[in-house]
Amino acid sequence: MMAVETQMSDLTAGGIQTVRTPPLTSAFWKKEDWWAVILGLGLVAVAIALFTNGASLNWLAVIPAKWTTPDQLIAHFAAAWPRYLAQAAVWLVLVSFALTALGYRLRDTVPAFIFLYIVSVIIFALGQWADAIKYNLEPPLVALVVGLLIANLNLLPRRLDAGFRVEFYIKLGVVLLGATLPFTLIVWAGPVALLQASIVSIVTFLVIFATARALGIEPRFAATLGVGGAVCGVSAAIAIAAAVGARKQDAAATISIVILWAIVMIFALPFVSSHLALPAAVGGAWIGTSEFADAAGFAAAQAYGDIAATLHLGTGDQSVAAFTLMKVVGRDIWIGIWAIVLSIIAAARWEDTGIRNRWDAGEIWRRFPKFVIGFLLASILITLVAQEIGKADFGKAATTDLVTPIKNLRTWAFAFGFLAIGLTTRLRDLTGMGLRPVIAFSTGVVVNVALGFILSVIVFGAYWSHFGS
Amino acid sequence: MAAPTCAGCRHFEAAPQAIERLMPHLAALSSAHGASRTGDGLCLHHKRHVPATAHCAAAEAT
Repeated sequence: MMAVETQMSDLTAGGIQTVRTPPLTSAFWKKEDWWAVILGLGLVAVAIALFTNGASLNWLAVIPAKWTTPDQLIAHFAAAWPRYLAQAAVWLVLVSFALTALGYRLRDTVPAFIFLYIVSVIIFALGQWADAIKYNLEPPLVALVVGLLIANLNLLPRRLDAGFRVEFYIKLGVVLLGATLPFTLIVWAGPVALLQASIVSIVTFLVIFATARALGIEPRFAATLGVGGAVCGVSAAIAIAAAVGARKQDAAATISIVILWAIVMIFALPFVSSHLALPAAVGGAWIGTSEFADAAGFAAAQAYGDIAATLHLGTGDQSVAAFTLMKVVGRDIWIGIWAIVLSIIAAARWEDTGIRNRWDAGEIWRRFPKFVIGFLLASILITLVAQEIGKADFGKAATTDLVTPIKNLRTWAFAFGFLAIGLTTRLRDLTGMGLRPVIAFSTGVVVNVALGFILSVIVFGAYWSHFGS
Repeated sequence: MAAPTCAGCRHFEAAPQAIERLMPHLAALSSAHGASRTGDGLCLHHKRHVPATAHCAAAEAT
């Protein structure tokens, strides 16, 4: 007992002597963010090391080739199957290592990942068909539909969800994405993304909160709904629910509503963007301001990037990069500040729950989405390599032998994430929403989408249309 | 003996797998393993989400 007591620090909070026990679940090796950073930067470091020694990750980072006839596709796999086998083995080792550290069993994660990889290869190959876009077979959307069907027809046991870790794959993809963006581009576009995202976030929160309060919803639930629409969807909802002390069922209801709207927006935003023929980066910026969850937003931005490239409205990378700056840099990283402000308001003005909370400025760091650090470090690394080599030499060789394999690995990580969204979204789990919360959130959605469009297309349209070109 | 914070209370559930079992739809577009959740958990006494550093009169040491 003495040993335990000496590890604890006595704190005084709200006049009550308390004993603090650091929870093991907050340790860094129990956070998928850090595993995404470690694995993502590790892959980037290997790619750079190979490139600077005259080799490349290209052999391993294979992706299905474009095809017009089935014979071409069969020929590709007949020639490249050892590369796919090796790639699957490497992914399996990396993913298993991280998921085991997070507490999952190999007997669940290994079969789950093998299934995820095989289905992803099929969907990726289908998306490389020359006529895929003509038939709306964008890989992110196909992956989502296939996953939803499998999950909601109960074709797989739920224990395999252990390997369908949506957020882990998406965060890993974001870190790899950093290595395909020059840091100067992030510095150039970051302030505008920040300004635009802040305007939309604050307005959306206030609209949802005010509507919810007007409908008689208690303030802690209203705040949870508000950040679910304004900041980073489900992740924000669960973080702010704790910061303000929201009821379990209110957080669960918010998550259900966010998921429903996020799924709708995965299809709606690329559809409307393509009918308006928005430049790729403008569409990505709009999706970044108006989608609710990172994973759903990446699916929409990737889908629109594919469409925009086919329509000669830009490149797929422009859409995804603009989305990333708007959503991740502009909205996600501020979750700690939202938590501090709302927990102060909850303690000072809202009905007492009998639970006392402590807060300090360290909350901003504790809640900071750490995968963003990996994203920025990857970008800085690749920019330093470019400077070291010199712009002229970096150009073609680096694009082919350094950036392309990292980009291909990023595409795989996102593909796993998109399929996993569908595989883990079971409509029967989306319960307890209630009409009034749905109305409040939906009001925010209307304002969010309209304001995001005005800012992305009209106010900053000229700016975003040149982004990444 | 001083009162524990939520982190040291027997009513506090913060294990990511347990949180996702209690809210199975959480993992569809997010995760209980995310950094932004820090060490937050569920208070099974108050049935509310709470930070690990919170405390209340009903706290009982594990």
